[in-house]
Amino acid sequence: MRLPRFDYYSPNSLPEALTWLTEHRDPGIKILAGGTDLLVDIRGKVIPDGHRPRCQQHRRGPWSARAAAVEPVNCLMALSRVPELRGISLDGSRLRIGAMTTIAELERSPVIRELLTGLSDGAAQLGSPLVRNRGSYGGNLCNARPAADTAIPTLSLAGKLVLVSSRGERIVDHGDFVTAPGATVLESDEILKEVVFDIPDERRGSGYIKLANRKSLEISMVGAAAALTFEPAESGAGRRSGERGNIVREARIALGAVAPKPLLTAEAGEYLKGRKFDPDSAAEAARIAADTARPITDHRGSAGYRKMMVEVLVRRVLNLCRDRALTGVAREVNV
Amino acid sequence: MKRVVKLRVNGLEYEVALEPRRTLAETLRYDLGLTGTKIGCRIGDCGACTVLLDGVPSFSCLVLAVEAEGREILTIEGVADGGRLHPVQQSFVEVGAIQCGFCTPGMVLTALALLKDNPDPTDAQIRRAISGNLCRCTGYQKIIEAIKDAARRMREKQGVL
Ligand SMILES: Cc1cc2nc3c(=O)[nH]c(=O)nc-3n(C[C@H](O)[C@H](O)[C@H](O)COP(=O)(O)OP(=O)(O)OC[C@H]3O[C@@H](n4cnc5c(N)ncnc54)[C@H](O)[C@@H]3O)c2cc1C
Repeated sequence: MRLPRFDYYSPNSLPEALTWLTEHRDPGIKILAGGTDLLVDIRGKVIPDGHRPRCQQHRRGPWSARAAAVEPVNCLMALSRVPELRGISLDGSRLRIGAMTTIAELERSPVIRELLTGLSDGAAQLGSPLVRNRGSYGGNLCNARPAADTAIPTLSLAGKLVLVSSRGERIVDHGDFVTAPGATVLESDEILKEVVFDIPDERRGSGYIKLANRKSLEISMVGAAAALTFEPAESGAGRRSGERGNIVREARIALGAVAPKPLLTAEAGEYLKGRKFDPDSAAEAARIAADTARPITDHRGSAGYRKMMVEVLVRRVLNLCRDRALTGVAREVNV
Repeated sequence: MKRVVKLRVNGLEYEVALEPRRTLAETLRYDLGLTGTKIGCRIGDCGACTVLLDGVPSFSCLVLAVEAEGREILTIEGVADGGRLHPVQQSFVEVGAIQCGFCTPGMVLTALALLKDNPDPTDAQIRRAISGNLCRCTGYQKIIEAIKDAARRMREKQGVL
């Protein structure tokens, strides 16, 4: 079975790409990054209906749109030869990641491991090595699936998306980027250029835990990401008691696969803010997070099970963040 | 609709007239006759169509042939040195890591790339490296043994890769 017919255009620079998109405003045009979502989607149904999972509700699952028909595509504009979209760079306290950075590059980057550990965790658990070598960070975000493994940590780390068109540039918080499963605020003439992160001065611990039926080639049933910063430890009494260095300055907790889009649980973050971090406060924040989750039942898991797992995973990821903020990630072994 | 694309496969230049929708896997098999690359699932799940693109394992079913222009493509046909099998291939044969053979080309290429990066991988590193290449016959154990065996051979007579 072949792919449907389409034209192909491959610009060599960002201005070229943007001009072309402005001149060809046609809903049949799609942007091609690594193609690991797009080419699967436009290939149409590979698996006949009879072979689908038996669970009746699976059609409502967050990823079921994959098997459904997509709008016809008549031209792909490839980003593979646009150099402006590549690379990871740290400039003072801002880290920028080009949209065409591959998931494998994210996974291997020591800077990302150190400063955006949750994103590194997400990249390392996405798909399989073959998927990571080909798939891009921008593609994972623009595909806008509620379970996307780099999107959940990006939301918890307050990533800002830089969207460009020939009209100019705008910056959108990841929290405002996805509007519904598979849908974003991107206009038809816009490209996601890069994602920018502010790196705080204080020590921050971040992490992402994915619950799935197996370790590779699996979409998550629940994903939990968090980023915790702590008040600086003071000298004197506060330091001895360990109190100050244990007060949460900011907490951002994001959930995957439990709502129509990546979910920032502001309530749980608010609860931890200014509070002492200990097993009780972490457990309470996890309970609050579970309350905000709105999962569905599908072939990957039931709504009830997912909700229970949100609580477990959030508790674990908060403790992981705390450990990482204290000791750093340098000594962790990453297989 | 067709366009002429220059592809560099196993060190040789090819000029192929193809439609943009042609995948690299289809081009390798149907235009170039390199049928060692297998087509299994067509959606990136099975890894049977694995080739190396600039040395990096990549499925060829979700890569358009036009996107492979300018890249160095290595398929299973380019792995042996004339009639002499590469140590990875030799180990697969001797250890019994091949049953039906459908996953073998992809497995060998993935193993080759792993051993280039890491000449002495642990079991866990091998399992992770091949986790996108499915095998429905062997249960993977023999494949892991073969990759370890190949690593040992290659370390012994360094400079083979
Ligand atoms: C076997 C398999 C397993 C997978 N497993 C996982 C998994 O475990 N977790 C997970 O999260 N995902 C998974 N995926 C999905 C996919 O690999 C990722 O979402 C990947 O990061 C997509 O990137 P891409 O470059 O291939 O995007 P493409 O397929 O090229 O693009 C995806 C969408 O984003 C748009 N787009 C891409 N880049 C831009 C840009 N810069 N600006 C504007 N629009 C853009 C495209 O038009 C398209 O609509 C899997 C896919 C496969 C085939």
